[in-house]
Amino acid sequence: MAAVAELNPSSPCKRPALCSSLKCSYALSRHYNRRSLFLRPAPVSRGSKIYCSVTSNEIQAPVAVKIDDPKKKAECYGVFCLTYDLKALASGEVFGPNQPIALKLLGSQRSIQALEGVAMELEDSLFPLLREVSIGIDPYEVFQDAEWALLIGAKPRGPGMERAGLLDINGQIFAEQGKALNAVASRNVQVIVVGNPCNTNALICLKNAPNIPAKNFHALTRLDENRAKCQLALKAGVFYDKVSNVTIWGNHSTTQVPDFLNAKIDGLPVKEVVKDTKWLEEEFTEKVQKRGGVLIQKWGRSSAASTSVSILDAIRSLVTPTPEGDWFSSGVYTTGNPYSIAEDIVFSMPCRSKGDGDYELVKDVVFDDYLWSRIKKTEAELLAEKKCVAHLTGEGVAVCDLPGDTMLPGEM
Amino acid sequence: MAAVAELNPSSPCKRPALCSSLKCSYALSRHYNRRSLFLRPAPVSRGSKIYCSVTSNEIQAPVAVKIDDPKKKAECYGVFCLTYDLKAEEETQSWKKLINIAVSGAAGMISNHLLFRLASGEVFGPNQPIALKLLGSQRSIQALEGVAMELEDSLFPLLREVSIGIDPYEVFQDAEWALLIGAKPRGPGMERAGLLDINGQIFAEQGKALNAVASRNVQVIVVGNPCNTNALICLKNAPNIPAKNFHALTRLDENRAKCQLALKAGVFYDKVSNVTIWGNHSTTQVPDFLNAKIDGLPVKEVVKDTKWLEEEFTEKVQKRGGVLIQKWGRSSAASTSVSILDAIRSLVTPTPEGDWFSSGVYTTGNPYSIAEDIVFSMPCRSKGDGDYELVKDVVFDDYLWSRIKKTEAELLAEKKCVAHLTGEGVAVCDLPGDTMLPGEM
Repeated sequence: MAAVAELNPSSPCKRPALCSSLKCSYALSRHYNRRSLFLRPAPVSRGSKIYCSVTSNEIQAPVAVKIDDPKKKAECYGVFCLTYDLKALASGEVFGPNQPIALKLLGSQRSIQALEGVAMELEDSLFPLLREVSIGIDPYEVFQDAEWALLIGAKPRGPGMERAGLLDINGQIFAEQGKALNAVASRNVQVIVVGNPCNTNALICLKNAPNIPAKNFHALTRLDENRAKCQLALKAGVFYDKVSNVTIWGNHSTTQVPDFLNAKIDGLPVKEVVKDTKWLEEEFTEKVQKRGGVLIQKWGRSSAASTSVSILDAIRSLVTPTPEGDWFSSGVYTTGNPYSIAEDIVFSMPCRSKGDGDYELVKDVVFDDYLWSRIKKTEAELLAEKKCVAHLTGEGVAVCDLPGDTMLPGEM
Repeated sequence: MAAVAELNPSSPCKRPALCSSLKCSYALSRHYNRRSLFLRPAPVSRGSKIYCSVTSNEIQAPVAVKIDDPKKKAECYGVFCLTYDLKAEEETQSWKKLINIAVSGAAGMISNHLLFRLASGEVFGPNQPIALKLLGSQRSIQALEGVAMELEDSLFPLLREVSIGIDPYEVFQDAEWALLIGAKPRGPGMERAGLLDINGQIFAEQGKALNAVASRNVQVIVVGNPCNTNALICLKNAPNIPAKNFHALTRLDENRAKCQLALKAGVFYDKVSNVTIWGNHSTTQVPDFLNAKIDGLPVKEVVKDTKWLEEEFTEKVQKRGGVLIQKWGRSSAASTSVSILDAIRSLVTPTPEGDWFSSGVYTTGNPYSIAEDIVFSMPCRSKGDGDYELVKDVVFDDYLWSRIKKTEAELLAEKKCVAHLTGEGVAVCDLPGDTMLPGEM
């Protein structure tokens, strides 16, 4: 269904600065209780173009919205507003100063008010490139024509909930969102799954979106990559911009594999710069894994700001050419991979991009026994998770045999 | 007190990527309870330069730190830092000199947005490396460490230093910018006079610290409320710093006013210009529609609804914060941080021809006959050199002028109420009711 607007025919809606639904709700508060958001009739002064888009479960007679600007793409949508840094997208930092964007924000029944607050703050920020903001709770509305989908929202673990239960309740969300993307999003939508457990959520999502290329789905492991670079830099005593070629292999969980074998510092293999093999093999991974948990202790809440930076990095890595010789990590679909990793799962691997939204897996990496044995462990975990959500991927009856809780602390 | 490092002589500290204090506290957690932050002894691999710096109220026996790199200036002094021979790096050779940006209230919600945008280079540009110096409180020191960690994990190339501490005399050292966000909220049953007093104490102290250790030409933006009077107290306690360097943030109100005008006129907000907020950042603030423009035309020619302009417009701008509290459950951290960045940008980039921006600045010498010696939001232009001048080509009518007089009266009353903090004698508090903006506390 296209984004809709309800007009009061006697006073056609002007082209408001930012006709977010909440503006609409101020004028027509009698509708508000039903969480329907309508276009506000504004005084006539010039023209009659409408820029509002409304997403709601309870749409009244739809009216087509004419979008004037032919270059305007609908870049992002389906965002659960748990991250604070939408404005980095709106400021042009990621897509550049010539790329206007429309933000389509998906919330839940519980968060609709807060979602309005977000839209209001976006308005008050006066970003010239932000030409549209729409909010709603129905993915079939919000994902309409989306060219990017940043799927951040997920359900946290309930009291006493086992991992299988967590996989299931989140899987339900991502199955639904996969179906919605399949039905209404752009055919080549790029999907970045942040909500945890992100690898398996991404797999469920793509399995429910058969019309969208599987390679378009990414599970976010960029935060782990950034944290790994920081730890290597600290250990080596260099500034973090000297660290490159850092891969995170596998699942975004405690089985993740930060790869020091292929990583470089100042262009040299890490193992030539950091001689402390014991540290590399034992402490390095743990430091990266536990960073989230340490932050929870310090901060009292999880790492929203740096997570949002890593999402922006992940997007940027797909829209700008990868620097020569370097690569970036992303959890992507393994079918056809050159490493002999199991097919048909979402596994973080090293990628390069020409900056066109597409990417290829990096072939020039090496493995040793240590690295390979750890890759096999995380692979086993992902295969077990996959079996546990078979009912959501259309692959039969779920069988859950999960080796203990391997979620990263602070990642839920 | 100078930054010191306690070394374990047998394993001199390596040159860590970002030796923020928290790194140090991991290794020496026995010190942590006293909130002292020490250098972590790291395994020896190369050289023996130490780049860590420590800020703490409880310094142990200081040990001189030998700084090898002759090009490394004292910007890294009092900082948790690393590398910094920027001239040796090809990519960084064209970079400008590092600037120190001090931020108070650094563990709060506004800073959680602001610091990351500052570090990304969005405001000062891609050739301007920065050092962030974060001031917290005893209560927020852990959260402050968390902030520093997240900044590290964000790998911003332009962020070359992060230091944290709770002593403004440490943190404000050589600051070229001071963003004073931290303030105390109103306690239960507290009257406005009490609120002015407890916050005034903070800003008097910070003014003294800036006076003692910051750069002589530090630019100060006061965000913590009541920001006008806090800015006045701050500058009164910093006589060596030009009074015109102090700004009270009214940019968020200006941005909100532009949005409301745009909505009313049915245009995109980039068509609205010349919007002034006059006066106090409180309910007496005056969003000026008389001088504002839409698409280059006077607002009053575009928006004919004078009743709306005179009655609803101001209210909408004032109440925006309160509405957000209702929606969001908390105050407007994200848009506030955007407005702080706008305020900085307005001073470091030339103001577009014919336009201006609002800032709460020192009134002495103003061309409008507004009372001298207070901090009052007025229209400003800048050449982008950190300095600004007040805009002379504005007009007044009775409506606008009467509202300006009201907010002026409020600021004069607030000033009398904090006389004990500005060195002007005994405080007399006669405040006309509570005019704090909802959601501003």
